[in-house]
Amino acid sequence: MKYLLILPLCLLAAPLAAQSTTPSDLIANYTAEAGVAASAERGQALFTASHTGGKPDTPSCTTCHGADPRAAGLARTGKPIEPLAPLANPERLTDLKFVEKWFGRNCNSVLGRDCTSAEKADVIAWLSSL
Amino acid sequence: MTDATTTEISIRPERVRVWDIWVRLFHWLLVASITIVAVTGFLFDASWIALHIVAGLSAVALVVARVIWGFLGPTHARFANFLRRPAVVLSHLTGKESGRYLGHNPAGGVMMLGLMGIVLMLGVTGLAGLGGVLRTGPLLSLPYPVGAAGLEIHEALAVLLLVMILAHIAAAIFESRRSRENLVRSMLSGTKESRPGDHTGHPERARPFIALFLILGLAVTATLLLPNGGRAPVGAPVAELDASFDDECSACHLAYHPSLLTGSEWRALMAGLEDHYGEDASLDPETTARITDWLVAHDAATVQTRPARMFAGTLGTSAVSMTDSRVWNHLHEDVREEIFLRAPVYSKSNCSACHGDAETGWFSPFHIQIPKEPSK
Repeated sequence: MKYLLILPLCLLAAPLAAQSTTPSDLIANYTAEAGVAASAERGQALFTASHTGGKPDTPSCTTCHGADPRAAGLARTGKPIEPLAPLANPERLTDLKFVEKWFGRNCNSVLGRDCTSAEKADVIAWLSSL
Repeated sequence: MTDATTTEISIRPERVRVWDIWVRLFHWLLVASITIVAVTGFLFDASWIALHIVAGLSAVALVVARVIWGFLGPTHARFANFLRRPAVVLSHLTGKESGRYLGHNPAGGVMMLGLMGIVLMLGVTGLAGLGGVLRTGPLLSLPYPVGAAGLEIHEALAVLLLVMILAHIAAAIFESRRSRENLVRSMLSGTKESRPGDHTGHPERARPFIALFLILGLAVTATLLLPNGGRAPVGAPVAELDASFDDECSACHLAYHPSLLTGSEWRALMAGLEDHYGEDASLDPETTARITDWLVAHDAATVQTRPARMFAGTLGTSAVSMTDSRVWNHLHEDVREEIFLRAPVYSKSNCSACHGDAETGWFSPFHIQIPKEPSK
């Protein structure tokens, strides 16, 4: 019977698991790792610039996300991408695993390498400043 | 033109009823349904299939009713009146025997039988294709190769029917000139001029009520038997999608159904997610393994669908993506290139923009709807 108590506890914990973090926590953590203060300007520059190190079809973050993170983007497959800015899409930047998965994939696609903690902090700082 | 007739018969020639109203209705409704079925079949794309099937089944129903009328109708409606021994047909065709037939002449009778037979065979082979290939309709669990063969025969018969229709029209024109009468008008009015020495055949009384009873009985039986009643066909693609597969794959694109590719194609694809059609789509190893296993377990070999037969194996050979393959481009040759590039499709990989059932792996022609271009 004791085990039955575990179930409501799990249910209570479920929203916490989905909302494992907040934009400000993410900036704080990545800044701590980087040892440099986050800069929204540098984040914007990285996000909107065209890069050459990555895969040829995706020279920039804006290729798929669009130039305005408050608006929806469009994947090369024709599928819409929800806005990145937390103000336009409160679900954004609330799940650490999700954030790490997509930084991992997309930094490689666009830059041809992993993003540094400083770059992640910059981009998130810019996105949450919008 | 009618000089010969007027000198021979000084009074206005007597006109007699040859084609009863049902024979005439049958003829012209068959003309209409065959026109629709031919235009939708030969000229229009797959999205017209529903109309094609409705018109085709109508033609079959008309012929079935006509066959019954061929035994129970009035004199010239009956097979006994116009189906004659091969020797008679031959002597008619060679001109040895030259009397005028009030109903169908011996050659015409053969043509009637042929046209009706071909329409019925087109119905059977069409339903075989609908069942075996598209896996719906009364024959929905027919083995795929049987359905595919049915469609091949269906196409050949359709060409044959067109040729026969042309011959039928040519013969009607030729015969009209030869016997100086308008046979097409007779098929509208139902009457022909009575002439001395006509072959009229043995007079028969119509049995309309028995015929009606039989036709209604067949119609009721057909409506009870023909719909598939929601039965699931053998070899259907897996309906329940794996949650990880659905989540991960549909994050960027339509979750392409496992039945579209072979197991080895899925393995190769899942092993190369770091460079997945120009993007990094890598997943953690456990998720990759789980999705790969599920894809392989429900691959093309496990189903009997048309997309599986057409696309499985295309990635392994020449094409990088399905949309590069010859078969894909052949199937989409009627769709203008800009449709794929503009809103709301944007990409050839966005199947579900036009195929409402793309996620199910069926890609049924019944569910194709090419979106209208957005107004500017």
